[in-house]
Amino acid sequence: MTEPVPLEARSLVRVYDDERAVDGIDLQVRPGEIHAIVGLNGAGKTTLMRMQLGMVRPTSGTALIAGVDVQAAGPEVWRQVGCLIETPFAYPELTVRENLRAAALLHGIDRDRIDTEVGRVIDEFGLGHWQRRRARVLSLGNRQRLGLASSLIHRPTILVLDEPANALDPAGVVFIRDLLRSSAAAGTAVLVSSHHLDQLARVAHRITVLHRGQIVGALDPDGIDLERRFFEQVYQDDLERGVA
Amino acid sequence: MIRAVTVEVLKVRRSMMVRITTALVVLLVPLLSLGFVKVAEAGGAGAVALKAQAMVQGEGWDAYLGLLGQMVSITMFIGPGMVVAWAFGREHADRTFPSLFALPVSRGSIAAAKFLVLACWGLVVTVLMLLASVLVGLVANVGPLGEVDLVPRLGRLALAGSLTSMISLTVGLVASVGRGYLPPIGALILLTMITQVAVMFGTGGWFPYAAPGLYAVAGTDGVAEVNAIQLLLVPVTTLAAAWLTVRWWDRAEVV
Repeated sequence: MTEPVPLEARSLVRVYDDERAVDGIDLQVRPGEIHAIVGLNGAGKTTLMRMQLGMVRPTSGTALIAGVDVQAAGPEVWRQVGCLIETPFAYPELTVRENLRAAALLHGIDRDRIDTEVGRVIDEFGLGHWQRRRARVLSLGNRQRLGLASSLIHRPTILVLDEPANALDPAGVVFIRDLLRSSAAAGTAVLVSSHHLDQLARVAHRITVLHRGQIVGALDPDGIDLERRFFEQVYQDDLERGVA
Repeated sequence: MIRAVTVEVLKVRRSMMVRITTALVVLLVPLLSLGFVKVAEAGGAGAVALKAQAMVQGEGWDAYLGLLGQMVSITMFIGPGMVVAWAFGREHADRTFPSLFALPVSRGSIAAAKFLVLACWGLVVTVLMLLASVLVGLVANVGPLGEVDLVPRLGRLALAGSLTSMISLTVGLVASVGRGYLPPIGALILLTMITQVAVMFGTGGWFPYAAPGLYAVAGTDGVAEVNAIQLLLVPVTTLAAAWLTVRWWDRAEVV
């Protein structure tokens, strides 16, 4: 019996009023693969990811996680998933350590392993200095690090990250790249979005270009001049739609 | 569910909103009641004195406990109601709601945990407020203790306070559907106004937001006794709102 694809979108559509935010997207992410979605603001990246995580119901089509429709997915499926969409998991009144403890509890980590895992991610994400400070006093970059640490505390095998480099300094961006690489090397399926091509091109195995809710092409991560290729695809799509 | 409860307890323990509300309710109710009793006893014809004299019935502990009953009906609704508005509304205002998706713990369990933790906190606040009230009454020597049946009067206040804080949980539904703090705060104000109207028209006993307050002061100033069925409407209404809230949390999308 073949293993289910960790993350799959089948003909996904989401319509808001008269706007087709996501318009018939098919996509797969396999174990050990980093699949990057790039697109301009409003291209449909976040809506697509929200559907893959059950945050938004598709108008039509199916979003699957580990072969299960996300609308019917239970705890065993969600235990495998880590995600960071928009705002990081960071309750302002809790300290960094308490936030991580809360994330560990909600991600289903065994209680006798929680302290160990909290300590591990505090070290890995460089949060030691701030671990006893409340999240409300953290810089945006450190809140993002806390959110990423919360997403990965349970060692997920499926990772969905929307603009993970948001608010991070250059060292933080390098850290994210290393994080994605090491996660994929450990077999994790990674779906990541960004509108900064350079942040992702260095680590992605596949880059899909999303524009006006549809996949309009792909970019070769090892290719040159990715930015120009990206804008050519976007411009060509606008020409075909007659909106350029 | 136990995991969700543990997380919600942590949030409530660390919340400044909860700490301030607890302190205000526990201290303000006895001190205000004592203040009104003292002002009424002092006599006088000023606006505050006349208002206090109108509110205070009887003397000593009887007057003090009667005033506590009036205070409980409003403070145990507004205070805990504000905390409920915060607990549910903050997940939207702080944009933490999307973080509660894609977890092995369902969002319905998280909402149910909020209700459970806030209900227990409401009971604790009620007990603390009554203990503080007795302490304040003894320290201020409001009158001879033998004049009143203290235990049954306190028992009545405990039930009224618990039921009032319980019914305030219903604004959790408004905070969820309204996705923020302001809609439930509006609901608290509106419900307080409707409660006043229901009491004025003599139908308060059948209105779950008014029944506990009327029960607290029943027998004083011609207020009729509230029966068990009328009081039972409080947990029934609360459970119905909690059930709807949990269903909303399980089905709501991120917007």
